[in-house]
Amino acid sequence: MDSARYRELFLTEARDHLVSINQSLIALEQSPPSTVRGGESVNELFRAVHTVKGMSAVMGYDSVAALSHAMESLLARVRAGEQPLEPAHLGLLFDAADALESAIETSSVQADAGPASALDVTSLVDRLQGRSGSASSATPLSTLPTVRRRPPPGSGGVVVSVSLEPGTILPGARAQLVVARARTLGAVLGASPDEVALLADDFDGQLALRVATEADDATIARTIQGAGSVATVAIARDPDRSDACENAPDAASDPSSTRLADLPPGADRSLLADASERFEAAWGNEVLKAPLQRYVRIDLRRLDHLMSLVGELMIVRGSLAQRASAHADPMLDDVVTEASRLVGALQDGVLGARMVPVWQVFDRFPRVVRDAARTLGKDVEFVVEGREIELDRSLLEQVADPLVHLLRNAVDHGIEPPAARVASGKPPTGRLTLSASRERSAVVIRVADDGRGVDRDRVLRTAQAQGVVDAEREALDDDEILRVISRAGFSTADRVTDLSGRGVGIDAVLSRIRALGGTVELRTGPGTGTSFSLRLPVTLAVIPALMARVGDEAYALPLTHVTETLQLTRGLVRTVRGRDVIVIRGEVLPLLHLRDVVGCARGDAATSHVVLLRVADRTAGLVVDQLLGREEIVVKPFDAVRGAATCFNGATIQGDGSAALILEVSSLL
Amino acid sequence: MSHTVLICDDAIFMRTMLSDILQQAGFDVVGEAETGAQAVNKYRDLRPDLVTMDIVMPDMGGIDAVREITRDDPTAKVLMCSAMGQQALVVEAIQAGAKDFVVKPFQPSRVLEAVQRVLG
Repeated sequence: MDSARYRELFLTEARDHLVSINQSLIALEQSPPSTVRGGESVNELFRAVHTVKGMSAVMGYDSVAALSHAMESLLARVRAGEQPLEPAHLGLLFDAADALESAIETSSVQADAGPASALDVTSLVDRLQGRSGSASSATPLSTLPTVRRRPPPGSGGVVVSVSLEPGTILPGARAQLVVARARTLGAVLGASPDEVALLADDFDGQLALRVATEADDATIARTIQGAGSVATVAIARDPDRSDACENAPDAASDPSSTRLADLPPGADRSLLADASERFEAAWGNEVLKAPLQRYVRIDLRRLDHLMSLVGELMIVRGSLAQRASAHADPMLDDVVTEASRLVGALQDGVLGARMVPVWQVFDRFPRVVRDAARTLGKDVEFVVEGREIELDRSLLEQVADPLVHLLRNAVDHGIEPPAARVASGKPPTGRLTLSASRERSAVVIRVADDGRGVDRDRVLRTAQAQGVVDAEREALDDDEILRVISRAGFSTADRVTDLSGRGVGIDAVLSRIRALGGTVELRTGPGTGTSFSLRLPVTLAVIPALMARVGDEAYALPLTHVTETLQLTRGLVRTVRGRDVIVIRGEVLPLLHLRDVVGCARGDAATSHVVLLRVADRTAGLVVDQLLGREEIVVKPFDAVRGAATCFNGATIQGDGSAALILEVSSLL
Repeated sequence: MSHTVLICDDAIFMRTMLSDILQQAGFDVVGEAETGAQAVNKYRDLRPDLVTMDIVMPDMGGIDAVREITRDDPTAKVLMCSAMGQQALVVEAIQAGAKDFVVKPFQPSRVLEAVQRVLG
């Protein structure tokens, strides 16, 4: 068995199922199993746990298998209505789900987790089983059969006595197959034990059938053996009817024999009416979760490979266009134009294939919010909007951690305890909303709470104490507050809570979002709440940019931040308090020189250009030597050398094969 | 000519494993299904010599799928794949028309033995 390959498949699937398990558990907290929604949740939960059990058993991850098996047993009883689902059970299942997650993650790293965690699993398993009564039914046969069944009552036909092999798994089911095989020979007039007793825990693997058949012994034996796991087949033919009647035990006194005549295969359900009805009730009410769609599961690496190829193709397209224009051949131009068009369409297609709906990550969050609220004693209603909005897959993964931080932050610092909320005239349950929406070429993800808002005074005073803000300032606006609280090391928290850390969080969120080419906006009001809006490019990989030259090097300026370009004339430049500024239509803007940014000596070029860059509400001018035109560039990530300028967040290969660094504009402004 | 097989299980993990076992033994895996409904449709289209069917699947479970498949084609040969501790479900599957069963975790030898029994 190719363990590495199966391990990855196992992990991917198991993780998906864990999300589903958590979702179902949360749904069950709100709707008990007796409701339609609760009933569906129990079914979904059962299925997910069942599948994890099967897969982990195959992989040999024993603790995962044992734990999921114990969860499944409990759920089976709940599903069958034999047991109510009390809050204590639900809590136990939540704990078990967490343990399952750790067991899955650690098992797939080492070949099953070591003895220490196996112990943890055992105690959970015990508690799960303690709640659900006996462990699984249908234990395999252990000893050699010694007792022979009495022949079934009735008369006529051939008595076929069968014993199953010791160690037969699911002996009742195997015996069922024996009966089915016997039916192919002729009518089964009687069976001992009857079909219900076959499923009991104490079925010993011995059964006797009375079959009306003309077949010879060898054929009968061979047919019965075909059921599998059959150790012996003994055939007895009644000498004559009178003997049989005398010697047969009284049917009424042998409760385990059936009085029924043969049943044709289709009508068996009446024998197991109880079990059938239960399962019909369980399975018959299943509702389609999502409309049937044509989805294909792809190894992500194949997609990444395609993306790479498309990126290279785009670069080649650029080269082709350059060379074609040097030839002045109209036919060539036509072909190149057509090729460019096709490459563009291919790019769109591959980029589209990388888009995934945000719910793939958002669905992990209800559990995060629930746990945070419980730990902190807050009452939170968590609402998710825009689940179907799509985002590039790797962008979405990258944004997950920042979102978790913002959500926990909102529960911790934003939403007040129920008593405090009521005291200020709010409902005791706080509302936390996570929403995703499209705005032209960006996706906006917003985390908003209706809590107490950021304490503006406190932020102002702390900032002044740290020397970050002038002592004369009396108030900060929202953008300034964000800038202040996102400075590394800033924190007004006087107690460290486990969840949000000590001022480490917001700056990490900001730098992550910026690295992805996005922006963060804060809006907050005293007593009304706080919202963080993350604006992200829809796709990471290709962006429109303005290329500019400084010295010998070309640089890329993301077009989303470019508002205007002008030729720089001396009259435009002023100096205010020792800093260069530029005056445009009466507005004074800070002026930066790209040469300074990249460490080039300032030249004395006759002409240069200014690019006006804008991030959120801040605008500045950037002086460059020459503008090289607008291009769609393929963003290649790059690891900056330690100590290098932090104002670049990527690189691109140009048409001539040389590299150009991409400016991270928000770090400049 | 090798026998054709349709593999039905909602876990790609299990389908891959079974597919490998069967292909290495010379069987021709002609299709896969993730739900009972898909299984019924694919059976109709492919008419495989053998079907392996997981019991627990969304959108029509394995038992209902076996029932429908067998109703349309009484000669259908379905092998149920069950996890441990599901005896009553396996029995119901047999009554719905399954010809044999194997229990997870699979041992390739057991799977192939069961397949041989089913194919006859």
